Amino acid sequence: MLPVSYYLIVSAIVFCIGIYGVMTLRSGIMIMMCVELMLNAANINLIAFASHFNQVNGHVFVLFSIALAAAEAAIGFAILMSIFRSKENVNIDNINILRW
Amino acid sequence: MSIVDFISQFAPEVILTIAALAVMIIGLGLGTKEKRALGYLAAISLIVATLIIVFRGTYHLQLEGIMADSLTIDPMSQFFKLTFLLVSLIVVIASLKQYDNHSNQDEYYTLILLGTIGMMVVASAIDIVTMFIGFELASLSTYALAGFNKKDPSSMEAAIKYFIVGALSSTLLLFGLSYLYGLSGGLTNIGEIADYFSMNPGIIQSPMGIMAMVLIVAGFGFKMALVPFHMWAPDTYQGSPTVISALLAAGSKKMAFVAAFRVLLIAMIAIKVDIAMVFIILAILTMTLGNVVALSQKSLKRMLAYSSVAQAGYISMVFVVMSPEAMTGAVLYVMSHAFMKTGAFIAVAALGYMLLRENISAKDVDHLDNFAGLGKRSPFLAFSIMIFLFALAGIPPTAGFVSKFILFYSVLKGGFVFLVIIAILNSALSLYYYARVVKYMYVLPPSSSEKLALPGAYSLAILLALIGVLAIGIVPEPFVNWAASAANVLGL
Repeated sequence: MLPVSYYLIVSAIVFCIGIYGVMTLRSGIMIMMCVELMLNAANINLIAFASHFNQVNGHVFVLFSIALAAAEAAIGFAILMSIFRSKENVNIDNINILRW
Repeated sequence: MSIVDFISQFAPEVILTIAALAVMIIGLGLGTKEKRALGYLAAISLIVATLIIVFRGTYHLQLEGIMADSLTIDPMSQFFKLTFLLVSLIVVIASLKQYDNHSNQDEYYTLILLGTIGMMVVASAIDIVTMFIGFELASLSTYALAGFNKKDPSSMEAAIKYFIVGALSSTLLLFGLSYLYGLSGGLTNIGEIADYFSMNPGIIQSPMGIMAMVLIVAGFGFKMALVPFHMWAPDTYQGSPTVISALLAAGSKKMAFVAAFRVLLIAMIAIKVDIAMVFIILAILTMTLGNVVALSQKSLKRMLAYSSVAQAGYISMVFVVMSPEAMTGAVLYVMSHAFMKTGAFIAVAALGYMLLRENISAKDVDHLDNFAGLGKRSPFLAFSIMIFLFALAGIPPTAGFVSKFILFYSVLKGGFVFLVIIAILNSALSLYYYARVVKYMYVLPPSSSEKLALPGAYSLAILLALIGVLAIGIVPEPFVNWAASAANVLGL
């Protein structure tokens, strides 16, 4: 079995890719995908720790967090759909009525 | 513990869950006119749940069985549940008029009830899994509510900004919690994690422990809208439907505070010194930036949003001092601020509703100019706005004064004199922009001499908030005692 640190390194890399994407990408859908990437990085952590300590509560946490991620994606896409209907695109640079 | 015990102990949550599902299912078969009854159903369920919490008071119940590790009933959770329920009740009552012709009003009330349940679960949670789920339930409901005016581009903008930042903060929080889980050797109960860290203080000071702490502070910081994590708050509060801004500022923001009280204060007690420095900087930045930017705002909703940021700065001083007195002040401040902010936002919503009724194409109804001469056009509304704003500034005999007094005094007693001086200077600064609104309402001439008729639902909602603000200000003892017993729970 691989030591737990390998999984942690992978998850840290995935998390950093996600956070980089959220900060640089301009499409609403790509941002949501990057957020999902970050959530999955946390899930990798939890699973790695849970099997390392031989405990089940981490696995349960991951199941809940996957369900929550799905619900979050549903709401996010619903909001993006409404924006797409009025603006014909989901580029977040065009969402700029409210400022200062 | 049998299922019957569970239902009786968590009766408020169970009632709200049943009501939320009932509103959603009954709403499927009704037309727009009949759906109005569902708002009353939601309000009644909230009243029943509130009464149960009030009659049970500050009791501390040792739960047994399957839920004992994840949920608790103590004065702290009861106090916050009462706050959330009253805020939701006021918001629902105000919405009865605002949305009485909306074809999706059943979904609106379902989302408010579900969001309230989420906040109440967070208030009761002593397990990071339960807490995260409650957090997400409340967040997901409020994302949808922020974008409830689908046709209004600013509402959609508010929703997408709130959603992206909220989802990002949830992932930061979850990533931090996953490290916490690993560091504690597979524990999820907050109390057990705290015990583990106080026995092994080296672990939390490792790079991974510090990383976990930074991520958790950032995750909560986004929800609490502390500077530099506040950028979403003004946009979201301004763009959302105004009654929903009340729910966001008074409900979902306070939920982050109760979660932070439990997690940061209990699980991070081993590294007291490091966290104090972080929060001194965050608190000073938050209150100063919030107040300074609020000075130049012309939109009242945006001004209230920045004042909300500033108030979060005052409350977060408790993470610096961490004494029982400071905790009492902070807990009381949360409830006072909930009443003041809900009242202020609902009052702005009422004015917006009346102006839109007069002129359907009116733009920027929350602009300061619309408040000119309000004292003559709608005396009750102007008077209540004045009380709410003075309460936010901390003028006696309002809730804002009592809670600010207790909080600032405890920070002073904790030896952070410079922090108190900055906080008091900020309070003085904030009086400028609150008093400016009062000047507009009572000194400047009205744009038209026509009286504005305040709908009954709004009057009732504003009256409830007004009673809350004045009750805490004039008879503070029961509230302070409850807040003190809530602070005792944390065992500082």
